[in-house]
Amino acid sequence: MRFLRGGGIVGFIIRRVLLGLVVLLLVSVIVFVSTQLLGDPARAILGRDATPDRLAALHKQLHLDSSKVGQYFHWLGGLLHGDLGTSLASSQPVTSVLGARLANSAVLVVLAAVVSVPISIAIGSYAALRRERIFDTVSSNLMLLLAALPEFVVAVLLVILLSTNVIHWLPATSPVPPGTHAWNYPSELIMPVGTLVIAVAPYVSRIMRASMIEVLESDYVEMARLKGLPERTVLIRHALPNAIGPVFQVIAINLAYLAGGVVVIESVFNYPGIGLALVDAVNNHDIPVVQALAMLIAAVYVVLNLLADVATILVTPRLRTRL
Amino acid sequence: MTGSGEKRWQVSEGDGSLWHPSRRGLVMGAGGIVAAGSLAACGSGSAPAPPGGSTGAGGAPKKGGDFRLGVTGGGSKDMMDGQNIVTKPDQARLVSAFETLLEFDDNYQLQSTGLAESVEADNPKQYTIKLRSGITFQDGKPLTADDVIYSLQRIGTQANGLTGFAATATMDIKNVKKVDNLTVQLPLLTADSTVPQTLASYTFGIVPKGYSAYKGDPSTQIGTGAYKLKSFTPGQQSVSERYAGYWRDAYFDSVTITDFSDSTAQINALKGGQIDAMTDLPANQVQAVKSSGVEALISQTGGWIPICMAIDIAPFNDPKVRQAMRLIIDRQQILDQIGSGYGQVANDLYAPFDEGYDKSLPQRTQDIGQAKSLLKSAGKEGLNVDLHTTNGASGMVELASVFASQAKAAGVTINVKNDPNYYGDSYLKLAFSVDFWGTRGYLNQVQQGSLPNSPYNETHWPPSSGEGSNFQDLYKQALAETDASKRTEIEQEMQKAEYDVGGYIIPYFNSLIDGHSSKVAGLKPSKGTLNLAGFGHGFRTIWFA
Repeated sequence: MRFLRGGGIVGFIIRRVLLGLVVLLLVSVIVFVSTQLLGDPARAILGRDATPDRLAALHKQLHLDSSKVGQYFHWLGGLLHGDLGTSLASSQPVTSVLGARLANSAVLVVLAAVVSVPISIAIGSYAALRRERIFDTVSSNLMLLLAALPEFVVAVLLVILLSTNVIHWLPATSPVPPGTHAWNYPSELIMPVGTLVIAVAPYVSRIMRASMIEVLESDYVEMARLKGLPERTVLIRHALPNAIGPVFQVIAINLAYLAGGVVVIESVFNYPGIGLALVDAVNNHDIPVVQALAMLIAAVYVVLNLLADVATILVTPRLRTRL
Repeated sequence: MTGSGEKRWQVSEGDGSLWHPSRRGLVMGAGGIVAAGSLAACGSGSAPAPPGGSTGAGGAPKKGGDFRLGVTGGGSKDMMDGQNIVTKPDQARLVSAFETLLEFDDNYQLQSTGLAESVEADNPKQYTIKLRSGITFQDGKPLTADDVIYSLQRIGTQANGLTGFAATATMDIKNVKKVDNLTVQLPLLTADSTVPQTLASYTFGIVPKGYSAYKGDPSTQIGTGAYKLKSFTPGQQSVSERYAGYWRDAYFDSVTITDFSDSTAQINALKGGQIDAMTDLPANQVQAVKSSGVEALISQTGGWIPICMAIDIAPFNDPKVRQAMRLIIDRQQILDQIGSGYGQVANDLYAPFDEGYDKSLPQRTQDIGQAKSLLKSAGKEGLNVDLHTTNGASGMVELASVFASQAKAAGVTINVKNDPNYYGDSYLKLAFSVDFWGTRGYLNQVQQGSLPNSPYNETHWPPSSGEGSNFQDLYKQALAETDASKRTEIEQEMQKAEYDVGGYIIPYFNSLIDGHSSKVAGLKPSKGTLNLAGFGHGFRTIWFA
């Protein structure tokens, strides 16, 4: 098994990318098989007007009359060429249906990450420093409370507080008009991004706190302090790099979760992203769109996990030298 | 660009001299005038709203503003066609840009306020349509007989797959003739006194010659309506702007229709002032939203959700079993639980706004004892049946579950089968199922759902023998009958048969509940099928106070 080792960090990345592709191939089989359970899209399209003649004509038009295996390879081939097929509901290419929505969702997730990661690392680290004092107790319990609330409850509470019932500061929904970009409407982004930040921050800050406490109790931190280094340097140069390894994994899992979990947030705020598109596609039995989104979300998981692994290895000399 | 584009014609509807002809009153026999509402050319500013005033802030209508409407029920299937719809936002878009020859008023009575000055029956098998002069399409071209012929033939071509096709069955669609620039002769294959009603259905919009559905270019969507499509993204939003040459008054500068995936976001947007009106306010929110400056518009419609028993499939091929089922249901409880009390208890008959609706038949109420003895004499004690339903319209699944729990009292076990593939897989072939219908006149509804060749005949009505077996003959007689009272007699004979041995259980007629901000004026309840009083009659009888 020599080919599975060696090559340093580059070799590691290549191996992980190849492994990721295998995972995605397996996912594609599962996605294809499970979307067959959505039912016959021709029936969903025709609704009450589904007569046998019209069904047969539409089956032919949608290439649903060939064998399942043939359909799978036809779809997979298209996928590899970047051709995601045609949406059954809107008769538009899937890429053009999802393009703008993908950008909108990406804006949400990236903003949520950019805001929540530094905040939660800071909160977690500071809580570890102030262990079992006021800040730690308050922040730990608050984070536990927020982690216990489902996103839609947070979203609805925010809407009641800031948009409709208590004060009217922010727009209650975020319907980015088609043809424009989400970042042109900063006030409409605050509520959904805020909700996502609240959804992610508790997990990251809690793991940061735990990891930091462990590191702060270690011998080498004590050594650094005994050497007379300033607390700032001890913390940032010595403790943080070692504490942050496990945090990367949690961040990756949370962001990947966001990519799929924005569905609820987009629905509450009527935000035109992939989450709403997914709900719509499932309702319409729009199999090409469901398949494209499922593959996309799977790809996001694979890529984020890869990035987290690479980042963990880079900050952990012990792991880095073993490659 | 013709000069007539600048000319403003206006129907004076609020001047007190309004004539309220019913459909029965309109059809006055061979050669009688079918519709001739009071038409007056006015210069400016007379009351545009339908008679009866308006709810909300009153005062003289003002021009201006962008009317933002939030609609649920849309999605990537959204489309635009002057004669077809798939989703609810499509309905709003259609009426913003396209108009019909005749129109229903808020009482569901026909009025000649539309594009036709009159629709006359020359004889029972031929109608003459006279167009109002001076009406232009949104590209400035005048409306002519050619456009009307194209429009009717477009609907009447089966391959086009338009909603109205089934209703053109009696029309000799190939031989629609142009008499002059503003007159069209519509011959019929068989007598049909419901043609004027058909012409007033919103899916009979008049489109310009050569028209086709939206395929990505908004400039192809040219109607005679008040608002011209400017941009449209299916599943998200469409924006339309007021057509300056519109022949009636319209007040908003633009109309924006936004899709909402669920009503919570819709209510929040309305409360927060991001939209001005919304469709389908949940009944439990009617009181709750009041404090936020939101008003509810509650319209009693003739829409219904029937439980359908196929009269030729066991166990419902026995009239006693059908009778027992109709005695098991508690209609008031269903109305309270599913319609939150907003609606009207029904009596297993449809088309409540029709002149011929038989109010004299006794109201059926729950009678478990009678139901049990009927089942016993039919040898069907402890009956166990599957009731098929789907999430096709709100209330369909709930109705099945509530009815199933009511049936337990009579020892009947109803297994609710909620099947997402219901329409298409098994629809119209089932013994026991739930369906939904909108407001229609009696004979139009019979044509759609209660004849052997109807497109949606769930109950397989009429029976081949016994009471009701002459139903189709009676229908044909009624279509040809030009005397209103005689036709009502025939229709009541038809309804008697459906009441006695028919396959429908009709618990109640539902209400439409919509929400709007208190600054929207001109809205009042309507008996029609569409939300928000036909979306403010094509967004032209409402304005910002």
